[in-house]
Amino acid sequence: MSEHSNIDPQSPLDAILDVLIPANPSRNIPAAGQLGVATFVTEAAAQKNALNTALIALLSRAGELADGITPDTVRQLETELPEAFNLLLVETYKGYYSRPDIRALVGVGAHPVHPAGYEVASESPELLNELTAPVRARGPVFRDPPGGQA
Amino acid sequence: MNNDPVDVLIIGAGASGAAIAWSLLETRMRILCLEQGDHLPDKDFPSRHEDYEIARYGAFSCDPNVRRLQQDYPINSDDSCITPVNWNGVGGSTINFLGHWPRMRPSDFRTKSLDGVGEDWPLDYHTLAPFYDMNDHNTGVSGLGGNPAYPDYKPPHPPIPIGKLGQTLARGFNEKGWHWWPSDVAILSEDDDGRQKCVNAGTCDLGCAAGAKGGTNFTYWPMLENAGVELRTRARVREILVDESTGFATGVLFHGADGRVHEQKAELVIVACNGVGTPRLLLNSKSRLFPDGLANRSGKVGKNLMFHPLTGVAGVFEEPMKGHEGPMACSILSQEFYESDPTRGFVRGYGLHSGRSTTPMTYALGGYGIDSPIPWGAEHREIMDNVYPYLAGLTVVTEDLPEEHNCVTLDPDLTDSDGIPAPKITYKLGDNTRAMLRHGEDRAKEVLLAAGAKRILTKGDDKVWWRAGWHQMGTCRLGNNPETSVVNSWGRCHDVKNLFIVDGSIFVTAGAVNPTSTIQALALYIGDQIKTNIATLFD
Ligand SMILES: Cc1cc2nc3c(=O)[nH]c(=O)nc-3n(C[C@H](O)[C@H](O)[C@H](O)COP(=O)(O)OP(=O)(O)OC[C@H]3O[C@@H](n4cnc5c(N)ncnc54)[C@H](O)[C@@H]3O)c2cc1C
Ligand code: SF4
Repeated sequence: MSEHSNIDPQSPLDAILDVLIPANPSRNIPAAGQLGVATFVTEAAAQKNALNTALIALLSRAGELADGITPDTVRQLETELPEAFNLLLVETYKGYYSRPDIRALVGVGAHPVHPAGYEVASESPELLNELTAPVRARGPVFRDPPGGQA
Repeated sequence: MNNDPVDVLIIGAGASGAAIAWSLLETRMRILCLEQGDHLPDKDFPSRHEDYEIARYGAFSCDPNVRRLQQDYPINSDDSCITPVNWNGVGGSTINFLGHWPRMRPSDFRTKSLDGVGEDWPLDYHTLAPFYDMNDHNTGVSGLGGNPAYPDYKPPHPPIPIGKLGQTLARGFNEKGWHWWPSDVAILSEDDDGRQKCVNAGTCDLGCAAGAKGGTNFTYWPMLENAGVELRTRARVREILVDESTGFATGVLFHGADGRVHEQKAELVIVACNGVGTPRLLLNSKSRLFPDGLANRSGKVGKNLMFHPLTGVAGVFEEPMKGHEGPMACSILSQEFYESDPTRGFVRGYGLHSGRSTTPMTYALGGYGIDSPIPWGAEHREIMDNVYPYLAGLTVVTEDLPEEHNCVTLDPDLTDSDGIPAPKITYKLGDNTRAMLRHGEDRAKEVLLAAGAKRILTKGDDKVWWRAGWHQMGTCRLGNNPETSVVNSWGRCHDVKNLFIVDGSIFVTAGAVNPTSTIQALALYIGDQIKTNIATLFD
């Protein structure tokens, strides 16, 4: 892999990642750059030529943008380099959500690792009876044509 | 490696190969199964590891074109709107399947005479019913008896929890006066026979490390290997051989783990390679007797490929739906729109399946089976914090009709790592299916609103899920007429009397339900017929 070593994880990449997945300070959820997803992305780029090329193109274009990294300039990157942008976006989501600490914060449980799981109570027979009563009351809803071998 | 001739040679150690091996066990014949993949110890399942979601996009993707493991074969899906997905190894696609376990319904076996489409099956629901029961017992199926959508039967284990999500949707269906029922699942609701009950982690496609999901790696294969069935892994069958004077299959050529090509002779050959792998193998088995592929005098090998095209609709509710608690696919199933109704503008029908929520990364990347990332930026934060936890969704799973132009052929250039030509899929959605999908989306919206959804999310385009090729059917269909079908009513090839096919390729029509309970019931039925007809098997 040739040029990936040119990408400095502390470069504007952090800032771009922070725009892609911003923080939610009220729930202590960090943004993607803050979380260090740049390392994940650059490591992935070391393995994948297309991503590496995309990253180099995006960062070099980002460096030319006078306004620095803002949602507007990131949108501009997306418009100008759509395929490269999509590769970065996918890798960012992968890097961010593969972190168990983030999964635990996203508002639903962490989908724990087996053999751990969730205690989910079975519905009582009474509840199932009550819920299915109208369905049963309508009677059979299938056609049963004359059978046997055709 | 001992390549002594065997009585029965089964190709493929997935759902159907395991079931027929079990059925034939009592004959005391020498049974050998050749499987191109390996055993996968449950400690290696991604569901045991913290970064499990990444695996879904790499070595544990359901898409062989993404995984690209040694045991996989590539599939050219450039001319299809759906790509087939699978697992190649002991357990077959039951390693990563989701365990949703509905049976086909009586009308599914009679679509021609009832609705004028497809063909009638040469057997019916009631013939299969005892084999469904037997297989449910062997697999460990959970569910609630008394479903008015079926002739009476009772799953062996009580239902798994339908959870808050299922209860909410059930109330919506009740509000509309529409059918729904807790899903039958090949997932244990209670410990059974050394297997642990479901722990509700919701990572079912990443290998169920609890052993709760009834993949044949946990159900049939341990039992079979203990009983002396020989399972030879990393053995990829290249070609089925025929004796040109008798027209009988004599065995196979396979690529062994040692990298060499071996010949294995057998009295009886059974193909169980799934709806794409089976026609591929037959089409690759050309000879002077069968220049167009083995057992293909009808020209139907590879034709009539059916999937279950599907789309999804989600509702945003006021409270978290806890969709992450429980098996991925299975909560409740509505069959309100399953049977034909001429007023709807299409024939046959579809099911509305309530999935639970997928994991955060998969949701962010577009959903299970879809490559279409959700928005970034402030909108991303909003969706993940204020939409994702509040979602409950329904998938519209349609009945695909058999159409000859939808087919599996051999790709002229693409090969697997052993140089064997790879399959090419040519498939497009029929107008009937499109009409069903539109109707289903509208009904799904209605019922989600009735259940209390405040907002509806749809993709709003005409596309079906790309990786929805979970169910591959129809490519070597059953029938009494050798000119229009590949195998007879009990799975024996019309053209080669000691060659049987037992996987989903023998389906005549697809129904609108997940196929594996029917695939395995059929395999047990075929095993039973082989035993019944043993004295005159090859006449
Ligand atoms: C992600 C996913 C989710 C699914 N969810 C559900 C569900 O919820 N409910 C349901 O009913 N179904 C589901 N399915 C489908 C289900 O897994 C299949 O219907 C079922 O496994 C098919 O059984 P089979 O025996 O035909 O093929 P498989 O189980 O796929 O087994 C075929 C085996 O043959 C082997 N093979 C192929 N070619 C060769 C060769 N040339 N030489 C040697 N070996 C070969 C393969 O390696 C494989 O192990 C799902 C599938 C997937 C992939
Ligand atoms: S949720 Fe249940 S069935 Fe699914 S992987 Fe976990 S234990 Fe297995």
